Amino acid sequence: MKRHIRNGINAGITFGIITIFLFMIGFTTTISDLLGQLLQNGSSASVLGFAPGRFDLLVFLFFIGMWAGISGSKKTPDERESWGTVLAASGTAGLIHGILVGGLVLLVGSLLKAGVSMTVYFAQLLPDAIHLFLLGLNATSGALFYVVFLLMTGLIGGAVARTIRYGALGQNIAGWFKNKWHAFTAWPQYQRIRHNRPALFVVYGILILLVILLPQVLGQYWNYTVGTVGIYVLLGLGLNIVVGLAGMLDLGYVAFFAIGAYTVALLTAPAPHHLMWSFWVTVPIGILLAAFAGIVLGIPVLRLRGDYLAIVTLGFGQIIAVLLHSDELTAFTGGPKGVAAVGSPTLFGISLGTPEGFVYLILLGVVLVIFVTIRLRNSRVGRAWEAIREDETVARAMGINTWFHKLLAFAIGAAFAGLGGVIFASRNQFTGPEDYNLMVSFNVLASVIVGGMGSIPGVVGGAFTLKGLPEVLRELENYRVLAFGALLVVMMLIRPEGLLPTSRRKMEIKEIHDPDEKAANGTSGGTT
Amino acid sequence: MQQKTVVHTHKPIGTYRYVQIILGIFFSAYLLWRLYTVLIAHPAYGPDTWMRFAIDGIVLGSVYALIAIGYTLVYGILFMINFAHGDVMMLGAFGGYFVFEALGAFKVSSSLSFLNAQPVISVILAFLAGMAVSSTAGYFLEKIAYRPLRGAPRLVPLISAVGASIFLENAAQLLFSTQRWDYANPAVLNRGIGWNIRVGQGTVVITYTGVLTIVVSVLIMIGLYLLVKRTRLGRAMRAVAENKTTAALMGIDVDGIISRTFIISGVLAGAAGVMWGIHLGLVYYYVGFIPGIKAFTAAVLGGIGSIPGAMLGGLFLGVVESLGPAVLGISFQLKDVIAFSILVIVLIFRPTGILGEVLSEEKV
Repeated sequence: MKRHIRNGINAGITFGIITIFLFMIGFTTTISDLLGQLLQNGSSASVLGFAPGRFDLLVFLFFIGMWAGISGSKKTPDERESWGTVLAASGTAGLIHGILVGGLVLLVGSLLKAGVSMTVYFAQLLPDAIHLFLLGLNATSGALFYVVFLLMTGLIGGAVARTIRYGALGQNIAGWFKNKWHAFTAWPQYQRIRHNRPALFVVYGILILLVILLPQVLGQYWNYTVGTVGIYVLLGLGLNIVVGLAGMLDLGYVAFFAIGAYTVALLTAPAPHHLMWSFWVTVPIGILLAAFAGIVLGIPVLRLRGDYLAIVTLGFGQIIAVLLHSDELTAFTGGPKGVAAVGSPTLFGISLGTPEGFVYLILLGVVLVIFVTIRLRNSRVGRAWEAIREDETVARAMGINTWFHKLLAFAIGAAFAGLGGVIFASRNQFTGPEDYNLMVSFNVLASVIVGGMGSIPGVVGGAFTLKGLPEVLRELENYRVLAFGALLVVMMLIRPEGLLPTSRRKMEIKEIHDPDEKAANGTSGGTT
Repeated sequence: MQQKTVVHTHKPIGTYRYVQIILGIFFSAYLLWRLYTVLIAHPAYGPDTWMRFAIDGIVLGSVYALIAIGYTLVYGILFMINFAHGDVMMLGAFGGYFVFEALGAFKVSSSLSFLNAQPVISVILAFLAGMAVSSTAGYFLEKIAYRPLRGAPRLVPLISAVGASIFLENAAQLLFSTQRWDYANPAVLNRGIGWNIRVGQGTVVITYTGVLTIVVSVLIMIGLYLLVKRTRLGRAMRAVAENKTTAALMGIDVDGIISRTFIISGVLAGAAGVMWGIHLGLVYYYVGFIPGIKAFTAAVLGGIGSIPGAMLGGLFLGVVESLGPAVLGISFQLKDVIAFSILVIVLIFRPTGILGEVLSEEKV
């Protein structure tokens, strides 16, 4: 019983802090708006007697409170937990959660009443947001309301958790989904299609046809979005080679992207140099220059592993960013103003400079890069990379030229980024230092990690989720990067192999997470 | 500890050695030529300016040194770079900022605020608040983002650290907005005022804030030295850094020691953050990022894992960064480039740092 209560207290404090944090960053207000749009609740709100925004806020808090209850009643090792213990734990969690949030409400509400402007320090604590959070009550009754409300939701959460975990209903639902999935994968027709080449060709043919027709159907905006996602897929596939296959964490990846973009911009634009070359000529130059930069960066850091490499590449990315921002190079790169009127590609007299044209160009690039990646991965080089990733010393002992292969990984990864940069600059018809900040590196890294290191479908899926989804959910734009950070940590904690891992990678990570291995690793670290 | 066995698992490759030597000659020749040009042939600055640069560098360097010690402590024990360390410093800077704001608003008499009435107590309170915030952040950072990943492949905790850094930075951005906040020092510590000293034709100002920064950081470093060398906790920390399994067999609570290491490095980062605010005057959500990377550079420069190395490396980096643009004759906008170039150069020529603890392949 004591342990249950302690679990409840821990969960209550954790969720209390989470809810307070979400309120302080203004997330509760945003999510209420979003829920309001989703629920379309003119009618339901009036039935329940709440103003629209408040109802949505309560729906959101209901789920958070339930989650606190579920989490508070978890982790009980004994099998036969009674309703009493579950409810005691989840009730404690809910109560603590409620007291923390209620305390915040009391504090914020009374400060607001006293006329203190909190927006000076905390940008999101607008009076409107606080009024919404107070639900039209005064500070004291609002605080009491939250204590009771979150206690109730916590109890409900505990009850739900108990039902799902031990009740017949929950077992049945989970089992039903599992069975359906197994039934689908074992479905004879599905299996037959999977192993039937002509049928596969038909399926792929339809897919390709769809992809070709799609840009014609989509509007300007969607083509642009799809193009952006495509460029991130290109970048992700390049970083995938460096991080996913060769196992070197590169945080300055944006530098190669910038090199590709600036190459095409400086060679085709009229402004700083008036070279006005053709786009097609600059593509290979941009790719080669990026690859060359990859080699140049690679040489000094070849002897380093992991952490050092991450910092050095980060520093390199910063150097490029600082140089682009500074006035020193204005004559050469256009300085902080950037380069305007970058040339766009034409093919047999037809301009590809439209959003649709660029979608085709990017698709072509993605297909090319995927092809190269697959061929490389399944070749001697790919196996060498994976060997280096797993254990460099052993790889060298096996006769692999680690220098050559690491440099090759750097060069190819950089080349892909260069290609992405070339297309990016040409599509925007402009390139400036603001486009190449560190966040690009982190975005790409996040899509590689979330999708699954080394896995091509993973990278594509990751880019779509991380770059495409925020385009759809515009309201959540502010929280995108925050979510990236949290996502990186959470992925490492619960699923380091990524969402769509390659089968080999999955095995490796599982193996190392074995308790025996852990003990063995612990000893090897500290010997000097 | 009596005999240190030097492990050379990596055999240097011949060509690399030649590249090192050639590059080394090239770099030193260029540096000597620049020094000759700037100091003798065409003196661009008078002695007062040089002295001003040097003082700025030392002050900045002592802040870097404190942050660098945080990196080194954690690296010495866990062999991982605490990527979010710079952001922990940022949180500490905000802690001090809010104390100053609160005390500034708290009136003792009609015209005098507590901040100006009791500047010493205010500064102490600000430091304590910054240290408390940072050490709490460091403790939870380790507990949430690093501890569950012990024994995972090296890339895994590193990515987690990068994620934590992004998270903290953006959380601060959402909480405090993108604005740059002006650190409201007590009036006696106004930035820019201090003792005026005549050097050559000009005067050099030794600012009070700079002196405060140096004094506090030296005090903290002495305290840290005593802690590591003289106390039970310090002995346990050294034991864990040496070998975790053996330390555990000797009855040391390894997880507890690691937690405390993060708390100590958080304390140092918090102090550094408050100093940053008091001396340089602006805090914002990514204030910790660049100093974080530079402090890491300093830690590598001094030899990562070595505490005196981190102190030396920090001071050296501060001075070089401050004098560098003048010596090399480039724009002062590019001083960050100098710091990062130093990192790359150190890693090429002497990855073991100045006070080279041997970085066997196991560690690097």
